[in-house]
Amino acid sequence: MTAAPALPRRDAEARARLREVAGRARPLTLSRERLLPVAEPLAELLPGGGLRRGTVVSVEGRGATGATSLAWTLAAAATDAGEWAAAVDLHGTLGMESAAASGVALERFPVVRGVTPDRWATVVAALLDGITLVLAEVPRHARAGDVRRIVARARERDAVLVALPTPGATWSGEAALRFVSEGGAWHGIACGAGPVTGRAVRVRVGGRGEAARHRVGALADTG
Amino acid sequence: MNPVIPERTLVCWCPAWAVSTARRTDPSLASAPVAVVERGARGLVVCAVSREARAEDVVIGIRRREAEARCAGLVVVERDPAAEARAFEAVARALEPITPAVVLERPGVLSFPTRGPSRYFGGDEQLAARVLEIVDGQIVDGQVAPDARIGIADGAFAARLATRTTAQDGGDGRVTVVVPGATATFLAPWPVAVLGQTFGDRPDEGAAFADLLRRLGLRTLGDLAALPAPSVLGRFGLDGAHAHRLASGGGEHAAPPAPPPPDLVETCELDPPATRVDEAAFAAKSLADRLIERLDELGLACDRVIVEAETEHGERHTRCWRHEGGLTATALVARVRWQLDAWLVDRGERDEEATGGLMLLRLAPDRVVPATTRQLGFWGGDVAAHDLAARVLARLQGMLGHDTVATAVVGGGRAPSERIRWVPWGEPRGDAQPAPAPWPGAIPGPAPARVHTDPVPAELLDERGEPVRVSGRGEASAAPAVLRCAALPDGGGPVAAWAGPWPHDLRWWQAASGREPGTPARSERDRRGESATRRRRALWQVVLRDDVACLVVVEGGRAAVEAVYD
Repeated sequence: MTAAPALPRRDAEARARLREVAGRARPLTLSRERLLPVAEPLAELLPGGGLRRGTVVSVEGRGATGATSLAWTLAAAATDAGEWAAAVDLHGTLGMESAAASGVALERFPVVRGVTPDRWATVVAALLDGITLVLAEVPRHARAGDVRRIVARARERDAVLVALPTPGATWSGEAALRFVSEGGAWHGIACGAGPVTGRAVRVRVGGRGEAARHRVGALADTG
Repeated sequence: MNPVIPERTLVCWCPAWAVSTARRTDPSLASAPVAVVERGARGLVVCAVSREARAEDVVIGIRRREAEARCAGLVVVERDPAAEARAFEAVARALEPITPAVVLERPGVLSFPTRGPSRYFGGDEQLAARVLEIVDGQIVDGQVAPDARIGIADGAFAARLATRTTAQDGGDGRVTVVVPGATATFLAPWPVAVLGQTFGDRPDEGAAFADLLRRLGLRTLGDLAALPAPSVLGRFGLDGAHAHRLASGGGEHAAPPAPPPPDLVETCELDPPATRVDEAAFAAKSLADRLIERLDELGLACDRVIVEAETEHGERHTRCWRHEGGLTATALVARVRWQLDAWLVDRGERDEEATGGLMLLRLAPDRVVPATTRQLGFWGGDVAAHDLAARVLARLQGMLGHDTVATAVVGGGRAPSERIRWVPWGEPRGDAQPAPAPWPGAIPGPAPARVHTDPVPAELLDERGEPVRVSGRGEASAAPAVLRCAALPDGGGPVAAWAGPWPHDLRWWQAASGREPGTPARSERDRRGESATRRRRALWQVVLRDDVACLVVVEGGRAAVEAVYD
């Protein structure tokens, strides 16, 4: 495509602005524009450096290995972009101060607490209707039909579902990206010496398509 | 300039309506000092005070604890807006024989234009006496001294101030009538602070505006009214022009409010009929959203809305609500909910209440004015996303309960579970304050990603297998060697490293309690570490061999896992 002749060639700034306006008015978006960019260093592990809308991402770990912190980093991708994120908290144990420290904007991060397993699928589906990124804890015995329905809903609504199964369990539905956090040694603590200051968490990423090749990286843990 | 002469209005104000409501529900409070508290950004704050409590210097705006300190024997009651509206509905209904045009502003304040009724009863004074008689008859159950006040003046703003005039200004102090045309003279000596209330949902801006005027040397409404209107508009913008208009005795709107276009009425039929308040309120929510959206499209704002409901048996109820500073969807829904509450809950106590479920709900703007200060995002964009999210969250609240959908505010506190305050979706977060300062005694380092509000019972043992204890001086009996807890992967294991203990002596000025960790907290206050009794505990940070880090709280010789770093 040639540049519009009406614009002087030098006027790169005006052209950029025009492109921006056109981009907003355009009904179609390219797939790379539907990415929610994720903060470094996690971005290096992801195809395109972000979360693709309309997909499901699972975050697994065997407990206290940094899975929740990893999920916070993913949720922060949505609130950083000015979008809304929400969490489904089954047992009321999500530590929001840690979420804030990972960069999640709490005012755009409502949490639905105390959801009973029989209502879990309804709540997650309802959230996917209007919220860009839904971070959902998955009950241990989620029904396969519910899981399939939710995955389909995320695709249809162009939302991102971050599934956080209970420690030790795996996400039974399909997922574009599967994160497994494997933990790491804590810094700053010894017997009776100072408190923990942080750690590097080993993260393994697998998935379909571009992400099929397993990648391994480290993520600075905030807690 | 030729200001619109405002409609002559009667305002009836029942001071401390929240207190009257509390006394109505619990007659034993009749002669006790009562303070009604409301949960706000600063915790529980006094929002209404009985006469007895006021004599002890308990004033609105102080915190609950301070109020209790000022007045021994103070009875503190939590606010219940629905009950207030319900009780006030009875007063509004009693006034219906006098005028059909009763407008509720909030529970405790109502107004109506006096033109017709005044002529019928032979003058403003006679009308006021008549209204007072009716209102007193509704409120007083023989024990409480009647304290409703009446103000009549040109315009609701002046009439509202007239209700606040005290006895020393003449009369018995309960009825103040400002003669027609004297409104500007009546308003002149009032301090500019009274303008703060006209900002409606933006009390902070109102206070800031009044403060600015004061600092500029404009101390009274008269000072402000003496300035030329165009200069005030130029310096203070639309809010200033509005205040100037009010101060000079003009109407609330620059142009006379127009009757709304007939197609603005929003109706919804309920099938099956709603018999419970939350069912009807749920329908009202979408109705209110639709109405506000339609008004926005037309560039109109509405400050008075008529709520109308029909029951299965063909009864029809209508009530008009007014809101300072224009109605937002949230404010509108709150009012509709109160009104439905009044119609549905008290059913059976009085004959004229709704006898069946509600079939039809209608919201009609009573008068509209051009919206001057509202503008949607140019590209939809953020605003559209916000609206969509808000709708989804409101739906979930309707499904699961108000408190289950909440956002978190990080505040001060020592243990991780105390540092988070949950604000139900739709309520003000009150996070305008800067980020909290470092909290002495808080656990240093990163915040744990999993926090057990009710700590999970655990065993923290030393090398010999004895439980680790922490003395009153904060000294540990031995170094922890093994931690076992159901909340940890594989149930815990040998300890690799530890830090602490951090001893916490909570409420050391109170008597000690016997609460043990692991038992469910008794109340939300208890859970947030605010329980009224003294508690001593110590926190350990423990890292197990398999790199599992957690916080263990030891209290009364028992250990529990409070948080896990995940």
